[in-house]
Amino acid sequence: MFRNYIKIAWRNLLKNKLSGFITISGLAIGLAACMLILFYVAHERSYDKFHTDAERIYAVEAQVNMAGDTIYMNSMNSTVAALTENASPAVSSSLRLKEEYKPIILKSSQQPNTQFSEKNFSYADTNFFDFFSFKIVKGTTGAVLSKPYSLVLTEDMAKKYFGTQNPIGETISVKKDSTYLFTVTGVMENMPSNSSIHPDFVASISSMPTMIEHQIDFDSDVFRLGSFPTYLKLNSAEAVKSVEKTMQDLSVQGNPSATDVYRLSALIDRHLNVRGSSTPKYLSIFPLIAVLILILALVNYLSLSTARATLRSKEIGVRKVNGATRKSVAFQFYVESMLYVVLAFLVSVVLSIVLKPWFFGILDIQIDASFFLNSSFLSILVGLLLFTILATGFYPALVMSAFNPIENLRSSLASKMRGARLRKVCTTVQFVIAIVLLVSGVIIHQQLNYVRGVDTGLKRSDLLMLPLQKTMGTNSTPFRNEIEKLSVVTNTAVTQYPIYKGYNMFFASSEEIPEGTGLPILAVDKDFFETLGVIWDSQPEDEHFFTNKEQVIINEAAISKFKLGANPIGESLTFGNSSREIVGVVKDFHFETLDAPINALALFVKSKTTGTTDILGKSGGCLYVRFQPDTDVQILVTNIESIYSKYDTASPFEYQFLDDAFDAMFRSEERLSQVFTLFIILAMIIAGMGLFALATFSAQQRIKEIGIRKVLGASVVQLTALLSLDFMKLVLLAFLIASPIAWYFMHEWLQDFSYKTVIHWWVFLGAGLGALLLAVLTVSTQAIKTAIANPVKSLRTD
Amino acid sequence: MLLQLNHIYKWVKQGGKRVFLLNDISLQVKEGEFISIMGPSGSGKSTLLNVIGMLDEFQEGEYDFLDESVHTLKEKHRSKLYKEYIGFVFQAYHLIDELTVYENIETPLLYKNIKSAERKALVADMLDRFNIVGKKDLFPAQLSGGQQQLVGIARALIAKPKLILADEPTGNLNSKQGEEIMRLFKELNQEGVTIIQATHSESNAEYGNRIINLLDGSKVKA
Repeated sequence: MFRNYIKIAWRNLLKNKLSGFITISGLAIGLAACMLILFYVAHERSYDKFHTDAERIYAVEAQVNMAGDTIYMNSMNSTVAALTENASPAVSSSLRLKEEYKPIILKSSQQPNTQFSEKNFSYADTNFFDFFSFKIVKGTTGAVLSKPYSLVLTEDMAKKYFGTQNPIGETISVKKDSTYLFTVTGVMENMPSNSSIHPDFVASISSMPTMIEHQIDFDSDVFRLGSFPTYLKLNSAEAVKSVEKTMQDLSVQGNPSATDVYRLSALIDRHLNVRGSSTPKYLSIFPLIAVLILILALVNYLSLSTARATLRSKEIGVRKVNGATRKSVAFQFYVESMLYVVLAFLVSVVLSIVLKPWFFGILDIQIDASFFLNSSFLSILVGLLLFTILATGFYPALVMSAFNPIENLRSSLASKMRGARLRKVCTTVQFVIAIVLLVSGVIIHQQLNYVRGVDTGLKRSDLLMLPLQKTMGTNSTPFRNEIEKLSVVTNTAVTQYPIYKGYNMFFASSEEIPEGTGLPILAVDKDFFETLGVIWDSQPEDEHFFTNKEQVIINEAAISKFKLGANPIGESLTFGNSSREIVGVVKDFHFETLDAPINALALFVKSKTTGTTDILGKSGGCLYVRFQPDTDVQILVTNIESIYSKYDTASPFEYQFLDDAFDAMFRSEERLSQVFTLFIILAMIIAGMGLFALATFSAQQRIKEIGIRKVLGASVVQLTALLSLDFMKLVLLAFLIASPIAWYFMHEWLQDFSYKTVIHWWVFLGAGLGALLLAVLTVSTQAIKTAIANPVKSLRTD
Repeated sequence: MLLQLNHIYKWVKQGGKRVFLLNDISLQVKEGEFISIMGPSGSGKSTLLNVIGMLDEFQEGEYDFLDESVHTLKEKHRSKLYKEYIGFVFQAYHLIDELTVYENIETPLLYKNIKSAERKALVADMLDRFNIVGKKDLFPAQLSGGQQQLVGIARALIAKPKLILADEPTGNLNSKQGEEIMRLFKELNQEGVTIIQATHSESNAEYGNRIINLLDGSKVKA
């Protein structure tokens, strides 16, 4: 019986190749989009859950009140782990894990002449591989980090540094201010992509006290903030409150006046709770899109299958007369749906594998291929398959099995029109979704362009930023001089940090605000103003304003924040013990993200010479290079890189255009926009295909009517209009439903931005016209084909 | 007695008035009869066959089939009854286009949940009997009208029904093919199958051993 159903479903599929193709591929595209999104979401939600005791592992976090702002810190003093473990019986083990925050230079004993700059270098306690579930491939799990200057590296790194040879016992030299020799004691599996902890190298933490750069990290025994991210494994999740209490007590014991609040944050939540990350936003928007696309595909399937069903009414009649019960007919159509869905599912798996690199390229994430076989993802897939089978099989089975055999065998008009209303609803829903996506996509794109075009108060074009490392040292002066000599370079400037990337926070007070508040500070040299195009409100009259340490330049926002006079020149701000006179005011410019209004800012200005030696050389600042417009940037960068390599061989050369740095702040919106583009295309394809197939069916059903009308003298244009008009009405209706929905969502979305574009009415009109055009194109080709057919032929078919 | 109709009325409403499709039809059919129902188009032949075949409802009257009161039965029981005892043959053959000759004939057996091996044997017998073994893998579209009707009859017979209802079985056939089909019916009748056919043709009607004339839904006294 089952085989018989499969057989007839298969033959029907072959008989109606076009509609079968459209049905299956429409569903497959929808499922593929859904799968990719589910894959992404499942991966994001699986972070750190692979650890055996994942739900009992917590990171220590401190809530610090700094100048009125609450700041969260997760680096603790070296003793915090041990103190807490000793003081609280609920803590079963603890771990300190410190990451090098700047790239360091490594060389292996195998290739002494090749050095690599590595970012993911960490130091961990001996129990690292017991605490977490990372696997040791070579070496003894418990012992790899037991001695100072032991080093464990990932399989990839082992390959990079030692090729196919056994790395155990080999050495790697680590160049910081001094050079240290580490012995490789183990190789670990590559970190899974869903791990928020992903070092390529783990060194024993016992090495650090004998490293000059890190001795400072161990100079205190008190329970307080420090430089070690600290993890605790509790006996049970219920103990969180008591451990937090213990930590608080320890903190007060160490320093009775401490106000920091210590808390535990669950490891498995940390990935999604990263402050300022766009991931949670994606995680709420993407499943919504996935659902929309899936609905689109299902609706498409439904309307096509009911349309196809009308062609099957005779078969159903015959079956019923031959003894089929309603149940067996329903079952038959369920089996058919199952066949279609399974085929579509297979196609969609292939499709999503093909689209995967592209999709994740847009999102700029890496996911291990092995995650495809992750049990939770597989169970989601199976769930999706079952749901699709249930959802698609239900309605056709219901409708078809209700067919009355006698009516069907007479092939009366009534049975042919069955499901027509449902198909109208389906088409409308499809176009509502398509138009909502289209409008949203356009508005997201407009917002992106709008924000990029916002005047941020700086001249962003033709400006290159070179973040330098401490390793540049005293070479910073000849380096800057040589760059300035390049013919295309017009200007250079120095700041402490690349703009948009950071600033120092000082505590400052004024006469009006004696209690003081936080004030961002940026140390710059005097060329900063001209090179970045900062506009003066009142420029210091004294040409040498930068030479005096007791002077400061502020922006307009600082005037209101510190309640200074309209012309604050001559007033002063107090920073700790020292007071600085305000000698100049600049117009506000954005120095952090555009999401917030411009904050107050103070600029500590130095002369060019001291700026170069102090800001740039000693601490590793950022050199700005303004070049002439229309410069070949490729050549410029190559030239600068060759100059750089003369003066700093230790740190790798890095550069960024200010334009790009600015754009990078909108990367999450940009990705959203690109993902939307992808899904709009998919939605349009599905909706278009569905409409095309429906138009084909409708033309087939009305073939006799068309024939009669033609014999009676209707023109091709009139007939085409007759066939197309029904669909046009539906698209119009969809437009009316979709517009307010799209407006609402986009209005909500825009609330997150301090600079928002206006939602123009023509976006809606354009999207509506676009959908209408799509409908006209797909429907009218079919309509015209039917309309120009010879009526004698079509009248004979009945 | 195979079946008995007592004062059957069936009507549709048209503009508030009743239009009678069947008007006070009473009929008794014994096992082994071969009845021809005659009458012009629209006289109610097909409707009467559909009512007898339990595919269609009626508003008034009683219908007993093998001592069961059809008019009181639930849909489920009714379909069980006709599945068991009645085979249908249509003017337009009504074969399933996507199934082969073999599979078409097999279909009623599938719905009776007969085991695969037994199905094979039964279908093979039927193919053999109608001399269409060589055509078993062809699709309906590849057959002539007469051949298609043969398959239709084979399908009606496969479940060993007591009664065959044939609605204009030769209507789409030429006279030679028609004659063959009628001779086949005669043979089947002699083997004990009760047959009720609706027909336009006097000569076809003569194959039956009783003729009922219908006009506007009423029996015409001969």
